[in-house]
Amino acid sequence: MSDPLRLPAEQGYAAELAALAKDDGPRPAGWRLTPKAVVTYLLGGKAADGTVIGAKYVGERKLIETAVATLATDRALLLIGSPGTAKSWVSEHLAAAVAGDSTLVIQGTAGTDENQIRYGWNYAQLLAHGPSREALTPTPLLRAMETGKLCRIEELTRMGSEVQDTLITVLSEKTLPIPELNTAVYASRGFNVIATANDRDKGVNEMSSALKRRFNVVVLPPPDDLDQEIAIVVKRVGESAAALELPAPKNVAEEVARVVGIFRELRNGRSADGKTTLKTPSGSLSTAEAIGVVVGGLAQAAYFNDGKLDAESLGANLIGAIVKDPLQDKIVLSEYLETVLRKRPADSAYYKALSRLA
Amino acid sequence: MAEEAKSKTSGGAHVFGVRHHGPGCARDLLRALEALQPVEVLIEGPADLSPLLPMLARPEMVPPVALLAYDEADPAQAAFWPFATFSPEYQAALWALKRGVPVRFIDLPSTLALAARFPEAPPEISETSEEPPAAQADETAPAETEPDPEALKLRRDPIGALAEAAGYQDGESWWQDLIEQNPAPGPLFEAIAEAMSALRAAAPPPDAHEAAREAHMRLAMAEAVKAAEGKPVAVVCGAWHVPALLETSAQKTDKALIPKAPKRRTAAAWAPWSSARLAFSRGYSAGVEAPGWLKHIWESPPGRADAAWIAKIAAALRAEGRVISTASVIEALRLSTALAALRERPTPGFEEMREAAVACLCEGRGEQWGLIAEELLIGAEVGEIPGDAPLTPLIADLQRQQKALKLKPEALDRELPVDLRSENGLARSTLLHRLNVLDAPWGRLEGAGKSRGTFRENWRLRWEPDFAVRLVEALAYGSTIAEAAAGRLMERFEEATDLSDLADLVMQALVIQAPAAAARGVEVLERRAAETGDALGLMKALPPLADALRYGGARALATDRLETLLRAMALRAALGLSYSARNLDSEAARDFRDRLRAAEEALKLAEIDAETREIWLKALREAADHAETTPLIAGTATQILSEAGILDAEETARRLETALSPGGSAPGGSARGAGFFEGFFLGGGAQRLIHDAPLRAAVDGWLMGLEEEAFVESLPLMRRVFSDMDSAQRRRMFSALFGKGPSGPTGLAPAPDLAAIWPEHEARILGILSGGQGA
Repeated sequence: MSDPLRLPAEQGYAAELAALAKDDGPRPAGWRLTPKAVVTYLLGGKAADGTVIGAKYVGERKLIETAVATLATDRALLLIGSPGTAKSWVSEHLAAAVAGDSTLVIQGTAGTDENQIRYGWNYAQLLAHGPSREALTPTPLLRAMETGKLCRIEELTRMGSEVQDTLITVLSEKTLPIPELNTAVYASRGFNVIATANDRDKGVNEMSSALKRRFNVVVLPPPDDLDQEIAIVVKRVGESAAALELPAPKNVAEEVARVVGIFRELRNGRSADGKTTLKTPSGSLSTAEAIGVVVGGLAQAAYFNDGKLDAESLGANLIGAIVKDPLQDKIVLSEYLETVLRKRPADSAYYKALSRLA
Repeated sequence: MAEEAKSKTSGGAHVFGVRHHGPGCARDLLRALEALQPVEVLIEGPADLSPLLPMLARPEMVPPVALLAYDEADPAQAAFWPFATFSPEYQAALWALKRGVPVRFIDLPSTLALAARFPEAPPEISETSEEPPAAQADETAPAETEPDPEALKLRRDPIGALAEAAGYQDGESWWQDLIEQNPAPGPLFEAIAEAMSALRAAAPPPDAHEAAREAHMRLAMAEAVKAAEGKPVAVVCGAWHVPALLETSAQKTDKALIPKAPKRRTAAAWAPWSSARLAFSRGYSAGVEAPGWLKHIWESPPGRADAAWIAKIAAALRAEGRVISTASVIEALRLSTALAALRERPTPGFEEMREAAVACLCEGRGEQWGLIAEELLIGAEVGEIPGDAPLTPLIADLQRQQKALKLKPEALDRELPVDLRSENGLARSTLLHRLNVLDAPWGRLEGAGKSRGTFRENWRLRWEPDFAVRLVEALAYGSTIAEAAAGRLMERFEEATDLSDLADLVMQALVIQAPAAAARGVEVLERRAAETGDALGLMKALPPLADALRYGGARALATDRLETLLRAMALRAALGLSYSARNLDSEAARDFRDRLRAAEEALKLAEIDAETREIWLKALREAADHAETTPLIAGTATQILSEAGILDAEETARRLETALSPGGSAPGGSARGAGFFEGFFLGGGAQRLIHDAPLRAAVDGWLMGLEEEAFVESLPLMRRVFSDMDSAQRRRMFSALFGKGPSGPTGLAPAPDLAAIWPEHEARILGILSGGQGA
């Protein structure tokens, strides 16, 4: 068998999970770990036997606590956040820690239909023997219900709204009716759903309030620490540049700090010194986009700018990230340029480049 | 039986260390008092004000109220001792009063408290300092030494500090958990006293003022114990002081610690207080973070605060227009319980409920919680005091000022012209403006608004008796008229929704000479201005701001901050201008035109800096250039640009011609032309037609080319435009039109270098006119 590129969390972190499982405190039905141990698994710490647990998520403790407590009360969990805020990552590790299985995943796309959520039919069987349980092909959701595990639904809002609503009965009654067989699947204890959704991206559908009401929602914010975010971007840019065989000039870290600084100011609606309030653009300006901007800038620098990474080569990419709505975002950007960047001598190159391009 | 909640004793005195404004504490204190049945209750508070205590039991007295002591000569020097329903001190006093048990204060007298807070008594600046200097004299250190905030927090709220150390954000949740975890509430106050001894052992020794206070309390305690003859005496004081009160110290040493009473005269009164003033976040340094939450705890049965709190959150969200189902409320409660279990706390506390509410009721959005947080956490309560309570400092302050300014309150109308250049006149005007802010409009400004920037105001005075009542209510905002007016304005900043209203309020703050309030208003305005995308709203706020700038100049006030703001707002308005000027219907367009002209006037008046001016004009040019700009606005913008010299005569005429040409700005050719025409000429542009031949030709061409119907339609517009001219102007216009040449001196044209040499000419002419000294 070939070497898998990446193992699911429950295999990759089997040792940590095993160590945490030794805690014999009370746990909800079907849970592999105690809720407290699940929190420790995600945020890092020490297991009862002294095993060091690495942090899977860096961020506010209360968010993870809320997520775990939600799952402990049988409520479905919805993780919302801009792209690149570790929603899927948290969802995978939660499933691995709670149910020991993170592989029951439904990937939501515009093409997802009801059959991929509830159940499909094996048509050969159906034709040969008529409707029967044997002719039914279970989905990850159905399997999770039967085995009392966690089903993960990725990118819930990319499915059509009417497809999303298939989940309503499952979530409120923990039952999946199969009218064709005049029967229903009743969820075993331990079953639950973790969905992830994007709130600010293009091409997402509204969630009906009936469905939304059935989830507890945890919003995962972008990194709140500047240095941490710069570090993430520098690291990821380095990786991408290497993969694309782009030479990385010496001043990458410096320019990354500038780009991340600009992103953060716009995202937070406040200049770094806190003195000026700003409008926020319609785009998400996530960490992932900052990475994209810098990598784009690197490519431009390498091919068209004699390898010099500067405000000019980054400018067009920056504008592309900031101005998503040609009208509103343009006002946002020019306001930012005039009220913040213009006054900062250190950023004059960016001010010039962006004003010229905008 | 005294097992209930044992206190630390010293002789016959039982010392109960409480958390100021701690509802949990208050509840346990009542149980302890009931068990102890003391013969006298001693409370930490200014000893000389004990006679005011019985008033607390009056039914007309509704907390929050504050005991307030002020310097008779200068009411701005005041100290407050606020009491909320849930304050242990209030509950203890009430307990004693209802049972006829003697109760009194035992802390240093108010004269000394004031002396510690205001070391000398000089300040004439009290007129303008509206921020009560970190009131609540009881737990704050003297003003001159600025202790580090950590130490201050420890002294003021040691129990909160302990809770924080235990990982709680909210001291009351910690307290509840503590009680909950000890089902037989054992010697609770004894445990607090021990904790405090440990805390104080590690803290620096008390400063002189604190030592004096504790010595005073010890002495009073000893006296009471002696008088009680072996029966129990209850002492209620801040937890921090317990170890010191239990210390044995010779009376002589204690007496030596107390400074001599200063020679100032203080008066004291009850004042209605507000929950906002109890809170930290309104800029008062001493208080509690969330009076709304504390009151909720006090009103709920012990340990049952959670369900009702979540219901309150849901109700507040519903009031904001969100749909919250009962099922979600139940889920929020379940989640909070699960969170508490996860954190190994016996009951959901404040934090668990907040997080559960965010996840279940607010779709995970912290911002939605933020919308209701202030209302929930702070509340909008205002206390009441009996009508026959001692004269409140605001009335005393008013009487003092009336005397000083020689203004008598009369129930008859009386005219009062005021010259702002004289000291007395300025003071009179300021007083009347302040009273207006406090809803006690003793004077009404005649021709309001018009007099801004001049040195004269005409007031009509008439005193109504209910103004006195309003001044009592206004006490919740401050203890002098100046302070209270500023405090009231600060509150109105938060309430104002409109940028121009806000700008007006900033103007008012300047008028009543409340620089701190003005600064705050500017801050709020800055924030709101950044949030709005509405160029119209921004433009609306420019004129009052420019007025404020000019007026501030007349009154010699620091206005540089205002100038920065005006610049920022002009900038933001400019950036959005061209977008918001598109596709407006006729009514919106007229409004926009008026705002635009007013904003332009305001910017000229305020003499805005060249850079901003340039951006503003650039924006106007963009609006004038863009094809989708509403014609009326395009016309107005073109006229302003032409006046500002950005467009020369030739270019202006060209633009007018293009806009007026029949197919030029199709669709809707002639209607669009009429719009542009109106925008350009209405409001003072018509005179230009007399001198400006190319312009005249453009208009002429347009009118001649109109179909009859369109021409008739445009007649009312013509009339409006030309009715601005007087008959002489019209005559000159006719002669210009019919080729007779202007009736003025012929053949004259403005000198090409006119703009450059004019200022010099002007100066000379003015010199001649004003005294014949033209050089």
